[in-house]
Amino acid sequence: MYLELAKRNLQRTKVRSVLAIVGIIIGVMAIASIGIFGESLKTSVLEKFKELANEIIVTPAHSKGFSTIDESDIYKIEKISYAEFVIPIKSDQLFVEYKKKKAYTTVFGMDEKDVEELFDAEEGNIKLRGSCVVGYKLANENNLRVGYKIKVGNDELRISGILKEEGRRFDINPDFVIFVSLKDFEKLSDKGYNMVIVKVDRLENVEAFKSAVEKSINSREKKVNIFELQLIIKRINEAFSQINTFLMAIAAISLLVAGVSILNIMLMSTIERTKEIGVMRAIGAYRQTILKVFLLEALILGVIGSIIGGALSILGGYAIDMAILKSAKYLFMPSTALFIAEGFGVGVITAVMSGLYPAWKASKLEPIEALRYE
Amino acid sequence: MIELIDVTKIYKTEYYEVYALNGVTMGVDESEFVAIMGPSGSGKSTLLNMIGCLDKPTSGEVIINGVETSKLNDKQLTELRRDTIGFIFQQYNLIPTLTALENVELPMIFKGTSKQGREKRAKELLKLVGLEEAADRKPMELSGGEQQRVAIARALANNPPILLCDEPTGNLDTRSGDAVMRIIKELNEKGVTVVLVTHDPTLSKYADRIIRIRDGVVDVS
Repeated sequence: MYLELAKRNLQRTKVRSVLAIVGIIIGVMAIASIGIFGESLKTSVLEKFKELANEIIVTPAHSKGFSTIDESDIYKIEKISYAEFVIPIKSDQLFVEYKKKKAYTTVFGMDEKDVEELFDAEEGNIKLRGSCVVGYKLANENNLRVGYKIKVGNDELRISGILKEEGRRFDINPDFVIFVSLKDFEKLSDKGYNMVIVKVDRLENVEAFKSAVEKSINSREKKVNIFELQLIIKRINEAFSQINTFLMAIAAISLLVAGVSILNIMLMSTIERTKEIGVMRAIGAYRQTILKVFLLEALILGVIGSIIGGALSILGGYAIDMAILKSAKYLFMPSTALFIAEGFGVGVITAVMSGLYPAWKASKLEPIEALRYE
Repeated sequence: MIELIDVTKIYKTEYYEVYALNGVTMGVDESEFVAIMGPSGSGKSTLLNMIGCLDKPTSGEVIINGVETSKLNDKQLTELRRDTIGFIFQQYNLIPTLTALENVELPMIFKGTSKQGREKRAKELLKLVGLEEAADRKPMELSGGEQQRVAIARALANNPPILLCDEPTGNLDTRSGDAVMRIIKELNEKGVTVVLVTHDPTLSKYADRIIRIRDGVVDVS
């Protein structure tokens, strides 16, 4: 019955109630839509790094004076049982003659099967015996084609393949690199191994692998640094969560405004209904009963506004996703429901909090003063 | 039933004090019909508010049904009003959003009566005041006389032994006023104690006793 009374009181001032609900709808929608979009953005960015998550890069400990990794140490890494594959890489800046241009270029010495493991060919095949493979952008800038010959140091090598563009990768970027076999590399440069890429079989074993490396190689002296790509993912995750919280806090301002408007209309109705409150108190309503009716009114505004706002925020999230990410495939995730629930909760709480003061004020009215009010 | 002992009510403003009641001592017996009469500003409404526990005296005692009201807290006063006293106001004071039936149910809702119980009782009461057909109408759709009859039904909801009426016919034409007064008189004949405040001398015929008040003092002359 109190609910019915509250409902009818709101219906009495329909336009006002609707406007208050619209305020809540906008606030809840802003919070939930931005939350949904933020999560979509994060997921879409992280998806690109997912397969890198269990990669580890081992580099020489330059700070301790090591510029290469010993072959015996690479052997030790290969022996660790968690390693799915181990790719040792030698690299150097070498003088390269293209058709018309001469320039220093990064040259990687790798096993043929390892290059195949990491990259795909855009043109030709990945063959390193007596030939080389070049990165996409290097080929493009120098108009290189499969079959052309380039001169690396004193060796003339035929291009067997051009790699697909990789863009930003966190392990190695092949776009401006020439790949040669380890045998050819040794003829061109006396540099040793300066990087080992390891893929650990399962994400949970990354820590175990790290400690195994520490134990077998770094126990007496720190010879290598270990960098896990998982760390990048963790950082991205953290950064996005912070940005998202910040954006949602900005969106929450609109809900605050809605809260103030509820406060305003409920204070107005406390004044308008002063006499009614007096009558109810005279015929036996407790202070708490008055408090309850007013809070119920605020609650109804909050619940209706938050339900509609929550539902519309799916549309809002869809619109922002389509506008910025050009895709809605991340829209329906468990986190979407979470953000809708969050928006709903914050909306209802805001409404009830805004109703608290007017309700308290109404319940504090002395019956005789209220009855005298005209 | 009702006893006031040396009740004084002073309204203070920044500059002066007004004695709305000045040492009023009076009593009303069970099943008595008392009319309190006096010109406007004489303090008769203040006196009724004291009896109705809507206002507290500055000094003196108000005893209702054997209970000294100054010793009660807000919750106990509310329960006393709810269970012991029925109010009838000059302005009817029905809740505009509720139907006639719901208005009558309201004091029973505050008391926690079951839905079935209060609906049955509310219908009976509306029948008693001759308005069973108007049960689903809102106050706006009722005439003044009808609204006041609904207000009487509401006052009787929790079966209170005391009925306090503040100018119940003040806004009504003679015919509606008579109808309202007849209902109040019938209730009194069934044992309800009635205290009526009015400045209309024609209503004195319904009362067993008249208390006249002037400038906050009971006029014994």
